[in-house]
Amino acid sequence: MAVVRAVKGGQRLHAVDRAAQALGLAPGLPLADARARVPGLAVVPHDPAADEALLVRLAEDCDRATPMVALDPPDGLALDITGCAHLWGGEARLRARLMARIARLGVEARASVAGTPDAARALARFGGPAIVAPGEEAAAVRPLPIAALGPDDATRAALIRAGLKRVGDLSDRPTAPLTARFGTDLATRLRRVTGAEDARITPRRAVPDCAAEQAFADPIGRMEDVEASLALLLARVGHALERAGRGGRVFEAAFFRADGAVRRIRVGTGRPQRDPAVVGGLFRERLGALADPRDPGFGFDLIRLSVPVAEPLVPAQGLLDGGAAGTEAVADLLDRLTARFGRDRVLRFVPANTHDPVRASRTVPVLGTTPLSWPAPEPGEPPRRPLTVFAPPQPIEAMAEVPDGPPLRFRWRRVLHEIARAEGPERIAPEWWREAGPARDYYRVEDREGRRFWVFRVDPPDEAGPDAPRPAFPRWFLHGLFA
Amino acid sequence: MTAPPYAELVAASDFSFLRGASHPQDLVLTALLLGHAGLGIADRNTVAGVVRAHAALRDLREDGLPPPERVREGSGPGEVVCVESAPDLPLSNDDLKRRAALFRFAPGARLVFADGTPDVAAYPSDREAWGRLCRILTAGNLRGTKGTCVLTLDDLLARAAGLLLVVLPPRRTDGLAPVLTRIAEAAPGSVWLGAAMHRRGDDRRRLARLLSLAEGAGVPLLATNDVLYADPADRALQDVMTCIREHVPIDRAGRLLEANAERHLKAPAEMARLFRDAPAALAQARALLDRIDFSLDQLRYEYPEEPVPPGRTARDWLAEVTGRHARMRYPQGVPPKVEAQIAQELALIARLGYEPYFLTILDIVRFANDRGILCQGRGSAANSAVCYVLGITAVDPAEHDLLFARFLSEERREPPDIDVDFEHERREEVIQHIYARYGRDRAGIIATVIRYRPRSAMREVGKALGLSEDITARLASSQWGSWGREIRDRHIAETGLDPANPLIRRALDLARRLMGHPRHLSQHVGGFILTRGRLDELVPVGPAAMEGRTFVEWDKDDIDALGLLKVDVLALGMLTAIRRALDLLRRHGLDDRGMHEIPPGDAAVYAMLRRADSLGVFQVESRAQMNMLPRLRPKAFYDLVIQVAIVRPGPIQGDMVHPYLRRRQGLETVDYPSPAPEHGPADELRQVLAKTLGVPLFQEQAMRLAMVAARFTDAEANGLRKAMATFRNVGTIGHFERIMVDRMVARGYDPAFAARCFGQIKGFGSYGFPESHAASFAKLVYVSSWIKCHHPGVFACALLNSQPMGFYAPAQIVRDAAEHGVEVRGVDVNRSDWDCTLEPRGDGGLALRLGLRQVDGMPEAAARALVAARGAGFARIEDMAGRGRVPLPALRRLADADAFRSLGLDRRAASWALRRLSDGAPLPLFAVAGARDLPPEADAPLPAMALGEHVAADYQTVRLSLKAHPMAILRPVFARERVATCREASDRLPDGRWVAAAGVVLVRQRPGNGNAIFVTIEDETGIANVILWARVFERFRRQVLAARLMLVEGRVQRSPEGVTHLLAVRVHDRSAELDRLSGDPLRIDPSPADEVRRPPTPRGAAGHPRDVRVLPPSRDFH
Repeated sequence: MAVVRAVKGGQRLHAVDRAAQALGLAPGLPLADARARVPGLAVVPHDPAADEALLVRLAEDCDRATPMVALDPPDGLALDITGCAHLWGGEARLRARLMARIARLGVEARASVAGTPDAARALARFGGPAIVAPGEEAAAVRPLPIAALGPDDATRAALIRAGLKRVGDLSDRPTAPLTARFGTDLATRLRRVTGAEDARITPRRAVPDCAAEQAFADPIGRMEDVEASLALLLARVGHALERAGRGGRVFEAAFFRADGAVRRIRVGTGRPQRDPAVVGGLFRERLGALADPRDPGFGFDLIRLSVPVAEPLVPAQGLLDGGAAGTEAVADLLDRLTARFGRDRVLRFVPANTHDPVRASRTVPVLGTTPLSWPAPEPGEPPRRPLTVFAPPQPIEAMAEVPDGPPLRFRWRRVLHEIARAEGPERIAPEWWREAGPARDYYRVEDREGRRFWVFRVDPPDEAGPDAPRPAFPRWFLHGLFA
Repeated sequence: MTAPPYAELVAASDFSFLRGASHPQDLVLTALLLGHAGLGIADRNTVAGVVRAHAALRDLREDGLPPPERVREGSGPGEVVCVESAPDLPLSNDDLKRRAALFRFAPGARLVFADGTPDVAAYPSDREAWGRLCRILTAGNLRGTKGTCVLTLDDLLARAAGLLLVVLPPRRTDGLAPVLTRIAEAAPGSVWLGAAMHRRGDDRRRLARLLSLAEGAGVPLLATNDVLYADPADRALQDVMTCIREHVPIDRAGRLLEANAERHLKAPAEMARLFRDAPAALAQARALLDRIDFSLDQLRYEYPEEPVPPGRTARDWLAEVTGRHARMRYPQGVPPKVEAQIAQELALIARLGYEPYFLTILDIVRFANDRGILCQGRGSAANSAVCYVLGITAVDPAEHDLLFARFLSEERREPPDIDVDFEHERREEVIQHIYARYGRDRAGIIATVIRYRPRSAMREVGKALGLSEDITARLASSQWGSWGREIRDRHIAETGLDPANPLIRRALDLARRLMGHPRHLSQHVGGFILTRGRLDELVPVGPAAMEGRTFVEWDKDDIDALGLLKVDVLALGMLTAIRRALDLLRRHGLDDRGMHEIPPGDAAVYAMLRRADSLGVFQVESRAQMNMLPRLRPKAFYDLVIQVAIVRPGPIQGDMVHPYLRRRQGLETVDYPSPAPEHGPADELRQVLAKTLGVPLFQEQAMRLAMVAARFTDAEANGLRKAMATFRNVGTIGHFERIMVDRMVARGYDPAFAARCFGQIKGFGSYGFPESHAASFAKLVYVSSWIKCHHPGVFACALLNSQPMGFYAPAQIVRDAAEHGVEVRGVDVNRSDWDCTLEPRGDGGLALRLGLRQVDGMPEAAARALVAARGAGFARIEDMAGRGRVPLPALRRLADADAFRSLGLDRRAASWALRRLSDGAPLPLFAVAGARDLPPEADAPLPAMALGEHVAADYQTVRLSLKAHPMAILRPVFARERVATCREASDRLPDGRWVAAAGVVLVRQRPGNGNAIFVTIEDETGIANVILWARVFERFRRQVLAARLMLVEGRVQRSPEGVTHLLAVRVHDRSAELDRLSGDPLRIDPSPADEVRRPPTPRGAAGHPRDVRVLPPSRDFH
């Protein structure tokens, strides 16, 4: 298997697995060449965001070892374990524990422990001992390729050309000629990698967490107590959000039961919120889920409320006459309905870009989408599409001129409609890449009572041979009603 | 049922790029079959498609057969294939001809404006109006950026006279009335308002509104269907084209697509029914057609007059010039045979009125001669004695039997086709001369229609159908080259995709349908059109991508169909090399002769060719040709003509090679079957086939065979010629097969022989050379062989300086020269010029000094600056940056290329020293001083560079090494494995012996039907030619395609003539050994973060062997 990445001039392999490597494929190879060699190669597109997410995930996992974790993208982590190792029984055990955890996640990793981050990085990436005793760095990095210094491509190439291929080759030489050719940067890198100079890592900044929690000496069980505690937490979080000028889009309450079980309830809002009453109302819709018929009665000993997603919220000045209340009321209603029935069950229609009337609209969840404007009828033209559409279209019996005249009269639900006026046909062919089938001829018709309908005719397919029994007549359907 | 007559007047062909979905020919044929009275083709701001429709109609009138479309491929003569469309004909051929005779075709253009004016279809009513239409489009082309045409209503109104205009209302009709009135006033009585019924729901209401609008403006309403394709089934293709044009996948295209399939050519009865509310609109189509008194035939023969001096007629001037040149060509007197042929040719030329054409070509050739630019005519023009004496071609009619009719005949409609090759480096001078002499308003480059090929069609359709990039790339990559004409299921299956999967199926199907449709126009490599009057009144002109060039909208076939003057100014690398070689010979006092004065019949030259010692020689240097040389054993010039012609797909697929070789070697009797005595002379075939021992090898022999043995008339022979060019048109060729076999049998030939003859003609197809063309090329084969034979150093030097050209990389050219005793010296800052040069050796001989051009990435300007600055030579490295003003990066490249040896520095020391110099501009103080003095520094010595490392670096920077062959360094490794050298495998071991050989891969080829793959490997002893059967290849596909250093196990296969192959059974990729050269174990590093080990540049099987790199260009360098 290989991961491919689109670069200028085509797709190239970005990474390969062991099997592909064994077949001689390597990163950088154009996909076409790789395919020519290994026709059955399975490929997936490169997803840098997912890679980064994985790296962050690993970093979080390493947080347990030390708070000083830095990312070394795209595929490295630097941990400052100064003063932490003894908690784990020494550097070797700490390294082994971390490696085991990472291996369990299905990730292959290499790690080295050294006195400076640069030395550790070089050893880990370019193959050195797992743990270097203090002061031994210079000796440990000697056999590494000069790429371990992290020089730019031009410098590295020049050094290799000069026959200086290992770190040791450089550290043996006088510094002045090197500096004259490659600047002070190379000398600095050399000192850091050999452990002669130290540099601190910049730990990954913790995500600013807006959270509040309340512990109870005696577990609480009654719903009123839960609600009261929640309201308290909401108020605290609300204050925090207000100070930050933000509002939450998602709130999560975690209820830690005394027996160790954790129940989580998540609510989302259509716009940033921090009003305890509103958010509390949303939670109330869902608190019923906490009730467990098999509840042994342990109760909760900790409730934590956090805000995973927050957005800026500028305090709005309420209108004196309450004019804005209408839309807000609808928005609040939508929040409540969504909270009760679920995001995927409170929907709105949006128009789709297609000729096919069956597909002309689709539904999306109300929350998280903005309404799109529907195509307006051309000025001076009657509306081309009815307000009400039947799905599926209703069969009708109709009389019409052949081959493509509008119906003269039709019967729908046992009522006969005499057509007074009609326009059409509007021929809409099926979207051939989805389905085969005959085209539909649509007519807008008005009966003598002034009722307007949208009907269509489907002609029998004519691919049937002369011998095949053919339905003699076209079929008619009522697809919609104009107002 | 009689329907009122109707003609569709607003039809877009596929030359409305990515809008129309039918070929113009198909539109004509469909309209004809539907019973239309005529057809107007109006493409979007272009007339690029109308000639095809015009020619198609002409063919229908004359032959009645549906015209297969011929597509020109490559630049060789006869390299034509055909895109097939064979509709079922409900009519008899004669009915079709009768209908075609009455059918009217109106060429026009649909003007699409940039200022919001509705589209207008414009049809010229006479020749002058055609000129005006062309000028409108030209103005728009010149205003737009490449490929777009920017028009305003004023452009039309200024030149509306004589144009018949159909205004096509947009969807919204408000605001139309004033525009319509304005156009109607500008072209009174010549404006129509077009109305279409596309079943959009409000058709009848809209028709009524248009009717009243038309009445208000006083113009008639014209019924049309605003056609985008011939048949409703083309809707899917048209939708896909829309997606390609708009760069959206089809499921998001939505309303960009048409709602239904109504925009096809409809039967007159159906149109009458749709327009029952406005029957008068139907009749207007006929009225418009009747006003047109213009046909594209009126554009014929517009030749320039310049080459004729004032007061003379073209006729007597050509006669006089020809006579004068003939006496110069034959100082001992013109042979009577030639004299007679000249007279006969002049008479025919006079009858057809082609004198200005010949004089124009002469004019161009003379310019080249005056400038010392080598040139030589190719193709069928070499059949003409007039062309020979005028110096246009090089094949002497006194020595060869030439078939003038092949070049020019009254029967064929096409004008003569003279293609002239010029030195590729100096062709631009010729082109600029043509512009200067005839003016930009009368000379233009013709277009090439870029069409969808399997790969591009597959890629675009995949994108349009929303297939993932991966799948699309796989589908597209399932072709070996981009020149295939078919998308085969087998190839799809090879990529691991299922051709039966409905999605894949649909993509394949649509890609097949998209194939052959034009994508855009590009400029032809060297075809010029020259006119007497303004070019832009003949055909619209547009700016070409290259500065200072303009090109017209018609391609070669269009120009041919209209009988316009065209001259192909082609580029040939070998001519450059020959001129450079002749210059070198002169400069070094070795020889002082022109190309045509090289002594013929030199036995040493033929002996060299018989040894297949032909690397670098024109035409006969490829693997296949080198294999043929020892078999054919050329002894005389005509053998070279055959050699050039025989290694072609035509003779090979027609299975003519082996019969010819057997006869030549006397293994098979040469016999000529005879007709029954009462039907003609017994030796009638001997006359046709004697010079090729009874086996037809040239195109014209196939034709002569049909004319002599089966008594084909000129017209029939012409039909056969066309059918041959499109031999996959089974119906057509079958028709001729019956005629030929029946007549030959009737004349007393053995039926089996007759069938075999036709089989040969059929197999020949279009992939053979005409004799004249082969003879022209053979001239260059001889000249280049003569130079190589007698002056190998000069030859190699000229070849290297003419790169890129030919089949081989500089490394092989240099190696070949060294094997011929030439001393080759490396690139050096104190010795090398930009070009490779010859420098005197101590012993009075000449050594080949590689030029700075051989260094990869060396800019020519920097090299020339270096040469200009060095004076007596550089003594120290600091001198160069100061005195030479040579940019430091260029010096670094030279250091990497080990070009500082004359300063006593190897590449490592030179690079290290150069590093110390700063990249910035020289400090003023230093600039004044002219040199930089850096203080001496105390530095430790650098590690010494091993030979292998040097060789690897040589290959990476110069692509060759004079120090050693990489295999020589690796030999101990392979010797331990008992791997034979290439020389042992090729020369020493007996037939059938099992052997393992290894070498760097020079060439990978999969010719023709793909049953065998040829690989050439090279080691320090020579090359070995490896053959892999397809089965073996499939097993070792990865190794074969990836290996830069290949180990092959197999059997030696030796032919009686001494041609040896290594028949591979197993293949190993040993490229990793190359990394050992640098002696650097660190290169084998497991870390995926380390980018040092980036693999080689892409080099698929289709790459040119010349560009093959033994070692990757490496990120180590720059």
